[in-house]
Amino acid sequence: MKESDPVYLQGDIVEEHVEFTLIELCRVTGASEEQFTLWVNEGAFEPRGARIEEWRFSGASLRRAVTAQRLTRDLQLNAQGVALALDLLDQIDTLRARLARQDDRGDTFETSCKP
Amino acid sequence: MKYKDYYAVMGVPRTATEAEIKTAHRKLARKFHPDLNKDADAESRFKEVGEAYQVLRDPEKRAAFDALGTGLKDGDEIRPRPDVSDGFEYHGAGGAQDTDDFFSDLFGARQRHAPRSQSFDWRGEDHHARVSVSLADTYNGAHRTFTLQMPSVDDQGRVTYQTRTLDVSIPKGILDGQRLRLAGQGGAGTGNAPAGDLYLEVTLEEHKQYRVDGRDVTLDLPVAPWEAALGAEVVVPTPAGQVTMTVPAGSAAGRRLRLRGRGIPGNPAGNLYVVLGIVLPQADTEARKAAYNALREAFEFDPRANFYG
Repeated sequence: MKESDPVYLQGDIVEEHVEFTLIELCRVTGASEEQFTLWVNEGAFEPRGARIEEWRFSGASLRRAVTAQRLTRDLQLNAQGVALALDLLDQIDTLRARLARQDDRGDTFETSCKP
Repeated sequence: MKYKDYYAVMGVPRTATEAEIKTAHRKLARKFHPDLNKDADAESRFKEVGEAYQVLRDPEKRAAFDALGTGLKDGDEIRPRPDVSDGFEYHGAGGAQDTDDFFSDLFGARQRHAPRSQSFDWRGEDHHARVSVSLADTYNGAHRTFTLQMPSVDDQGRVTYQTRTLDVSIPKGILDGQRLRLAGQGGAGTGNAPAGDLYLEVTLEEHKQYRVDGRDVTLDLPVAPWEAALGAEVVVPTPAGQVTMTVPAGSAAGRRLRLRGRGIPGNPAGNLYVVLGIVLPQADTEARKAAYNALREAFEFDPRANFYG
């Protein structure tokens, strides 16, 4: 391989192609397993699988888990507080997206194009 | 070193009690927490508040800070008294706060970590970084080179930052806020343990023409009144290149035209929405005024027919 021809790293899009076990998600976020179990018990995360060893978290959980961990660390929130904050943040995201679409509410027509 | 007034940062008087300082910190930490506040300067304000609190919550550090005296303004050049910078040991805040130069000069402190034992095999830490990519990158896929500051712990247990250059393949269809996992590109492991992973959080750069909502992309397209009224074939720039699009006859301003599947690629791909804006030509010559007059005479048109009730 030529030196001027770098190897580009290939990554996985976490939200689409990755699932986490409890241990993996704890390692990525720095949260403890006890902490995570409390969040799951509050319904803030809904892993697949019945027993803790079988839990599988969706890739989209990572973003929420990072937020949960930072809120716990920086604001000393307990699990109930974290669950409430995550729900409210979801609502804010939904409202923001709806607000951004307000301008684009004209009647929609299909049209075609040529490349 | 440059002075920073920690009391002003916290919004409390110099006479504030510990309880008042704690309350002020709680309020400001919630207000500026980067997960709760999307303003561009929230993160730096949050760090500043954390740094101020590290000093003012601790009676010894607060006394050292007070010993610098009053009457200094932010950014004033100061020399700490020799006895001030000694004797204060700063224990890390659990990695939450990066401290800036004033703080470290004052307390002689970079955050210290215990040197890691070399006798066990520890998997390397996972690292996180934020990168921005353009809309064209996600439409087409791209090769991008990023320069990142990576923390690493030296033999004395100090955290140092090293600049690292990474060549990364941006997958087609990646969305704002998604993360890319690069296996084995995080912190080095010790012994025989593997390296950690690197997570890149992707931000889509704002574009002056396109608005992005998930995989859907919206574009405002200026058209002439006659193009809207009579229909036209117009050239539309899309992030994947120009296309020729049909504007249907009888289009009103604000009409939204959907080009199915021309949004951000994916399964399914998003749509591209083209919102028509009608631009009026100026009546700036006699001939053009005559053209508008001809228009008036041709239409008995009252735009306010249903306006007054």
